[in-house]
Amino acid sequence: MKALLIGESKEGKLLESSYELFGFAAKLGAETAMLLIGGEADLPSYGGTLYLADSGKYGEYNPDLHKKLVLAAVEREKPDYVVFLHSSYGWDLAPRVAASLKVAQLSEVISVVEGGFELPCCSQKMRRTVKPATPVAVLTLQAGAFAAVNPGGTPQLQRIDVEGAGGVTFLGYEAAEAKGVDLAKAEVIVSAGRGIGKMENIPVIAALAKALGGELGASRPVVDSGWVPHGHQVGTTGQTVSPKLYVACGISGAIQHLAGMKKSGFIVAINKDKDAPIGEVADVLVVADVMQFVPTLTAKLAK
Amino acid sequence: MDFELSQDHKVLRDSVRDFVEKEIKPIARRIDEEHMIPDELVAKMGQMGLLGSYLPEEYGGAGMDMLSYAIVVEEVSRACGSSGVLISAHTSLCSGPIYSFGSEAQKRKWLPALNSGQIIGCFLLTEPDAGSDCGAISTSFTRDGDHYVITGSKIFITNGGYRGTGVLFATSDKNLKHKGISAFIVDLTSPGVEILKNEQKLGIRGSYTTAFALDQVRVPAENLLGREGEGFKIAMDTLNGGRIGIASQALGIAQGAFERALAYSKERKQFGAPICDLQAIQFKLADMYARIETSRLITYKAAWLKAAGRSYILESALCKMMASEAATFVTKEALQIHGGYGYICDYEVERMFRDAKITEIYEGTNEVQRVIISKLLLG
Amino acid sequence: MKILVCIKQVPDMESRFKPDSAGVWFSETDLAFRMNEYDEYAVEQAVRLKEQLGGEPELTVLSIGPDRVVEAMKKALAMGCDRGVQVQDPSPHLKDPFQIASIIAAYAKDQQFDLVFTGLQSQDRGSAQVGVTVAELLNFACASTIIKFEYADGIVTVKRELEGGVKGIVKLKTPAVVTCQLGLNVPRYPTLPNIMKAKKKEILVIPVGDLLHEQPLAQTATFYAPAKKGTGVVLEGDVADQAERLIAILKEKTAVLR
Repeated sequence: MKALLIGESKEGKLLESSYELFGFAAKLGAETAMLLIGGEADLPSYGGTLYLADSGKYGEYNPDLHKKLVLAAVEREKPDYVVFLHSSYGWDLAPRVAASLKVAQLSEVISVVEGGFELPCCSQKMRRTVKPATPVAVLTLQAGAFAAVNPGGTPQLQRIDVEGAGGVTFLGYEAAEAKGVDLAKAEVIVSAGRGIGKMENIPVIAALAKALGGELGASRPVVDSGWVPHGHQVGTTGQTVSPKLYVACGISGAIQHLAGMKKSGFIVAINKDKDAPIGEVADVLVVADVMQFVPTLTAKLAK
Repeated sequence: MDFELSQDHKVLRDSVRDFVEKEIKPIARRIDEEHMIPDELVAKMGQMGLLGSYLPEEYGGAGMDMLSYAIVVEEVSRACGSSGVLISAHTSLCSGPIYSFGSEAQKRKWLPALNSGQIIGCFLLTEPDAGSDCGAISTSFTRDGDHYVITGSKIFITNGGYRGTGVLFATSDKNLKHKGISAFIVDLTSPGVEILKNEQKLGIRGSYTTAFALDQVRVPAENLLGREGEGFKIAMDTLNGGRIGIASQALGIAQGAFERALAYSKERKQFGAPICDLQAIQFKLADMYARIETSRLITYKAAWLKAAGRSYILESALCKMMASEAATFVTKEALQIHGGYGYICDYEVERMFRDAKITEIYEGTNEVQRVIISKLLLG
Repeated sequence: MKILVCIKQVPDMESRFKPDSAGVWFSETDLAFRMNEYDEYAVEQAVRLKEQLGGEPELTVLSIGPDRVVEAMKKALAMGCDRGVQVQDPSPHLKDPFQIASIIAAYAKDQQFDLVFTGLQSQDRGSAQVGVTVAELLNFACASTIIKFEYADGIVTVKRELEGGVKGIVKLKTPAVVTCQLGLNVPRYPTLPNIMKAKKKEILVIPVGDLLHEQPLAQTATFYAPAKKGTGVVLEGDVADQAERLIAILKEKTAVLR
């Protein structure tokens, strides 16, 4: 069984998350080859075949050409699986490859099962196992589902080039908004989620953060609604944090949020839904109405 | 007979519900505590079309049916009884009679601003000495050239504080009793219209309940609504329709309280189990649900009859009576189910308990409703 | 100009899901349905584009499913779409993303759409494939995960949301497909007058058999709730009591409280 792994790089630097692809391949027990559109200066520590395309030439985001590069690698390697990360790069590119090959794509794989793969659904609340019905399948891996593995070694480089222009022009990156708040250094973070109900309740959560000597964090919906600035956002499109204590208030546990905090030392979740996905990572789940519990807790901490 | 809401009604209900969840529910408690609905919210309700739901499009309304109106008032009241009655009194009691009894010129002049919510409407009938006995009003009018001149006082006027447009009832001669009453469309910013006070109340605190003094208020003759002496009939007809609005408000309050009680009963654990496992609580929930569901059906029937142009006096009295009594019952039980927490303002069910009571009283007390119903039964 | 927006009707995600009798998807009993949240941003952006261009573009909303999906379509019409296309299908959940995309492409192929808006993914299946696959099948330019959209004279400029709060600025020419991320805009409430207007808008019904010519490329074997890890402590009961117990646990297990 062979897996062609599609690595990711940004501005010539290999992204660490690419090593999760090797972790997956190990779980699958597959031989590997990798395609990377990146820079020679920063290659993965991997001894297998690496198809390298110069990101200087092919661009940071040029899905049409990147697709052609993947197809060229597929043509040469003839893998059983073409594996991407389920990232803004992967979920954009994988369907193009799958459609061109007219093969199955399974998105956001969590684990390998008999004859198929386990995927999340219903906003992470449920699971399904899916079996590809085509000889080749395209997969995208859920962030962090497969532990990164460093295979070690020096890649056997194969150059790969394709022709063409592509229908999309990349104009550049726009940096994330200034943080103001450095959650990465906080020892304690207390985060507000949609479950707090309204913007006026943010001070209640902030008060708990203060009582615990920590910082205020937030889930994406809270930031999108304008209740707190983006600098407080925890999650894939915000900051990834690993404080000693993380308290999630009224946060359901969307995968993007979990990805940003699940490495925290100790996780407390306050949610009136006993089945909320955040319960999967929480060390303690307090089943309560956030706005009833948090003021009580804050008051007791003050004593 | 299809008891299912049509897809269009479901789309309406879900749209209003989304709006209410985001714009009204989060501030319902503040509305009660500060005794006022923010002007921005009134403006948003206007933009949504909530303030002209069943008035025709040609006058700036949304052109929907009575059932849609009932759905609007119920959905809003589910979060905030004060906001629900603002809509109900404005639509049924002011825009309603102008539409039903006004001349084309009057409709074109007054309805667009009311339907857009730019101006808020009210109904000035009740007086200190004329409540249920509304035929005994004393506010009087005389004719002076091309004006009517009105003097008197009105109390308990919902929405009065907005000083918008009012449908006002006055008599030319108390001896003529109800035959002496005429109806007028009044711009409440007119000289001589004075607000004496906005009452402090047990419930629906965000709603204006206003006392007016009227001192020689000059109203252009073309503002007479209908014919002289037709006022009582206009008032009765208007209140009939208004009852559907109040029933919907009561249903919304009841529904909101019921949902909180149901959720609470599943979360609250005592003696090692959720209290919804206890038959005492189960029976309460069953009784609450039964009253809401049956009251809703009679309210929808009344709306359906009115929309079909059929007689609906009996059904409107029934729905107002049943829904209001359902609301007081349900909110009382809901508070009880919450136990001590039900008494605490944070839980909001106490506000619903306070808001519910008025629905048994205004727009015709339930005693008056019983008079109407029994009269119709006995022929 | 012709614009297509593709929407999906999904259940309320607060629901408790149970497998259906076939065991491959959720049972629909007692579920309330609504428009997929990502698609609301897509509809809103499509309507804004139509407004930007003075109302000239014709905006079509398409959805695949049984008659209940018409409710979601009516919301889109009330938000400002001009007409609807319902691909009538009693069991859309049995079609895989490729089949769904092929249905949309089969409809769109001779319609000359300049722009197609879809949500990034559906809240129920979450495969995030359909929009991009439609672009491949129609040979349209495509950018996914957009959180900002601008259009001028046939050029679409978008910002893609990337990891870490960084955005990628991308330009593409029509005809194009864009898939919309949450937060792209603030979707409008359908107002009552617009809900009324929507009643008069045409909804064309096409049986799915007329458009579906592809076999599934993958099969769902089972659908189930994840096993509870059971490692965490669950605190229930009285709020004051829960707070005391939590403080005790934090004192014991973390160095945060002294």
